[in-house]
Amino acid sequence: MTSATPAYDAAPGWLWRTAALAWLLAVLAVGLHQWQFWKHDGIDTDVMALLPVNEQAPGVALATEQLVGQMSRQVVVLIGASEWADARAAVQVLRQSLASGAGARLREDAMTQKTSMDAALGFYQPWRERLLTPQQRAMLAGTPDAALVQKALQDLYQPAVQARLSDWVGDPLGLWTQWWAARGAQSQARPRDGELWAAADGLQWAVLQYTLEGSAFRLSGEPVLDGALQNALAQVHAKWPGARMVTAGVPLHAEAAAVQAHWEINTIGWGSLAGVLLLAWLAFRSLRPVALVGVSLLVGCAVALSATALLFGQVHLLTLVFGASLVGVAEDYGIHYFASRQGAPGRSPHGLMRGLMPALWLALGTSAIAYLALGAAAFPGLRQMAVFSVVGLTAAMLTVVCWFPWLDRGTMPHSRVADRIGQTLTAWPRWRQALPGSLAACAAMALALWLLGGLRAQDDVRQLQNGSATLVAQQRQVGEILGLPSPAQFYLVQGDTPEQVLQREEELKDKLDALVARQLLAGYSAVSDWVPSARRQDSDAQLVARAHGVVYQGVNAALGESFARADAPAPAPLTVQAWLAQPIATAARPLWLGEREGRYRSLVMLRGVADLQSLPALAGAAQGLEGVAWVDKPAEISALLQRYRISMTELLLLGHVLVLVALWLRFGRKAWRAWMPTVLASLVVVAALTAFGAPWQLFNVLALMLLLGVGIDYGIFLQEHEDDPHAWLAVVIGAGSTWLSFGLLGLSATPALKAFGLTLMLGLPLVLVLAPLFRSPTVSKEH
Amino acid sequence: MKMVQWIRMFALALLVLALLPAKAAEPGAQELLAQVRQRVQDAPVVRGAFEQLKTVKGFKQSLRSSGDFIVARGKGIVWHVLKPFESTLVVRPDSLQSRGSDGKLTTQMRAQDEPVLRTVNAMLFAVMSANLAELAQHFEVTGQVAPKGWSLRLVPRDPTLAQWLSAVDLQGNQFVQEVKLQEARGDASVIRILAPVAENALRPQDAAQFE
Repeated sequence: MTSATPAYDAAPGWLWRTAALAWLLAVLAVGLHQWQFWKHDGIDTDVMALLPVNEQAPGVALATEQLVGQMSRQVVVLIGASEWADARAAVQVLRQSLASGAGARLREDAMTQKTSMDAALGFYQPWRERLLTPQQRAMLAGTPDAALVQKALQDLYQPAVQARLSDWVGDPLGLWTQWWAARGAQSQARPRDGELWAAADGLQWAVLQYTLEGSAFRLSGEPVLDGALQNALAQVHAKWPGARMVTAGVPLHAEAAAVQAHWEINTIGWGSLAGVLLLAWLAFRSLRPVALVGVSLLVGCAVALSATALLFGQVHLLTLVFGASLVGVAEDYGIHYFASRQGAPGRSPHGLMRGLMPALWLALGTSAIAYLALGAAAFPGLRQMAVFSVVGLTAAMLTVVCWFPWLDRGTMPHSRVADRIGQTLTAWPRWRQALPGSLAACAAMALALWLLGGLRAQDDVRQLQNGSATLVAQQRQVGEILGLPSPAQFYLVQGDTPEQVLQREEELKDKLDALVARQLLAGYSAVSDWVPSARRQDSDAQLVARAHGVVYQGVNAALGESFARADAPAPAPLTVQAWLAQPIATAARPLWLGEREGRYRSLVMLRGVADLQSLPALAGAAQGLEGVAWVDKPAEISALLQRYRISMTELLLLGHVLVLVALWLRFGRKAWRAWMPTVLASLVVVAALTAFGAPWQLFNVLALMLLLGVGIDYGIFLQEHEDDPHAWLAVVIGAGSTWLSFGLLGLSATPALKAFGLTLMLGLPLVLVLAPLFRSPTVSKEH
Repeated sequence: MKMVQWIRMFALALLVLALLPAKAAEPGAQELLAQVRQRVQDAPVVRGAFEQLKTVKGFKQSLRSSGDFIVARGKGIVWHVLKPFESTLVVRPDSLQSRGSDGKLTTQMRAQDEPVLRTVNAMLFAVMSANLAELAQHFEVTGQVAPKGWSLRLVPRDPTLAQWLSAVDLQGNQFVQEVKLQEARGDASVIRILAPVAENALRPQDAAQFE
């Protein structure tokens, strides 16, 4: 240091020391927390976590949560072969293979076997004359007495065995048998030779049901379950090359997502880290900047992770994927510092830092505003990403400010690459008619958009479906083979008592039966299928008693028999409570959500919904029914996405205005020069995406928000240090690494993150190229 | 619960089996069935009359009925009960229908609602094409072949099926002559086939019944 040190280059005071020490303590605390965090594995892989919190009735949100919770551990495996004997033998091989090794975490659910069928028949026995299917009810109410008798006689004299669950006398019309057949028809799977069997697509399928045991997935990045399943399939294929396997279950999706995310975190995180460090090395030709920038990134990520974990309890995988791109943004501060050092080798590190701080804080401020705007959306995932990013950026910045001047001792070597990059600024043209020119360009872009027919807005959450296409296809196939109800749409039925819930279900089902007749759906599953309301049990019992009387009389007259109804007192009604305790309730038990805060709740689920066109009719069925709510999760989320796309666009415009105001406070009438490059780049991105036919989604808007936060920085640095080749060097290196990070994010399999990445990958270089054009022409002449 | 309804169809399939050549997977049974098969005439259409005697628990008297039938390979079976009350039972690959004397539908089942129906029908066609491998999966087959005729006893292997059906006894020579169905609940029926005839094609007036 020379004696001519300016005032602000005085020796670092107590404030600098305190700040450095305080930050050291904070970082140590974070280190301790990190150690515990990784030991206890606070990574959340729940595939639903990115979905928005339900803004509608809290009851619906709760029901969805319960439904998802029940399904989240189930895995279904189907093995198909052209012969049932082969499928049956193959399933034994599969079962054995899955019982050991990694597959051991899957516990097979015992199929309801013969014993439990006997138990079920025994349980229902007292109420057998009180249970009717809708068809039976209509038939008994609408058939003349003579026809009932004729049908009974016809059945008696027709060839073949009448499969009966009781003596003829107990059930002359076979109603009890038919009722059970209708229960069986709710699933396409049938017990056969001790296995669960289904036939579809020209193959015979054996069905295995598993429940995943133990804790949720760890971020091992290993496809453990898939590995076990594929290994088992290989063993099956060795014997039956034609055998096919399809699988379904939330754990498989979660695992695939975890594997994918693990790969992405590594690619994006390490890829951009390597890129940043390489750029730093090229620019500064010294290990110290490389090491220190690395430290700032490490501290930034660690603090971000700890803060997110403390605030949200768990950190979602996708937050980490998105957070990995933070590396490319947070490096800016360190790079700026070293670029300035190179430019002013004589100044003390602390003095230099003091001079840099206004621009650094302003840049951090605008980035933070942009990231926080992401968190305004009701998507928990986005909120996490926003917190992660803001905290990470701030921590990286604090590391640079508090530590770099202390740790960075010695001189900065000059690098030729750095000089050359810096010199390009002098050669860079300036746009003399920048204001009218850029306004004209904006107008042209708007016109182009209008000519292209506007944005192709796309809010359908189904288009955003994350996850492996094969898994989704298999999930659908399993649903079709087994005739499972879809969890996407359902009715939530509520009431003050279980009886009221059942009665309301029945009112709904009466409407649904009409829709089944119109072939808008194949069927439905409800608790009242298994336990009708007491009211309906009573009315059905009357119908049955009358019909039996008529049939006995007719058969007695025709055949000279003397059948008569036994006079037995009506049993107490069958109740949900009693039914829930039975093994037969297993399949339908998830539909009964039980009591909460004095309200009883149940779900009515739909099978074989014809197509999306039938949804309005299904929604209409709930209208006018008290206590019945139609829940269409995809439609709800799509509507939410649309709402947020619109409000986020408004917020983006507001953000631009706010940023312009902030810039005006600092730069006065030259403020637009820092602002316009980002505006132009955003418009070009919108026009380009539209021209290439890409859909316009909420996530593109959010990316433009980020572009505002990051792109404005370039303008700020160029306005603050106009014609300073070292500021330009920092901007170029910063933009390069940011571009690398978001470019790598564009590789993500998660559509939302991909949209982010692509938008920024296009927008950032544009801002970089445009920003120097907007330097004021007058200054250049003075230079 | 799922097996309940289709026992009826199953029994019908058995009747068809009884009327047609047979072959089984197991060595002993295979030989037996091969011998039976040599005897039984293999024709696209078999028709004839039948007499049924059914014993149902709770009834003082046995229930006697009679009528005629047509079995068309690949198309299905029509049972036409004439006495004491007229009714028709039609089994086709993908459905089962029962009609009263007035032609009104009293029972209808479709394979799309009850998947087991398809299996029963697939089995039926396995039977029609003289492929009894599938049927032998469901039954233990024993019996004997004598110059005067043959007899087979089928006992269900599957415990679920055995809950309903104890045994099926078949007797015949060139055609099946008698089928005895013994239900687990104690009900039983004996069906006697009278004057069966093999024909090469459906008669035009019968074809409509299989549509």
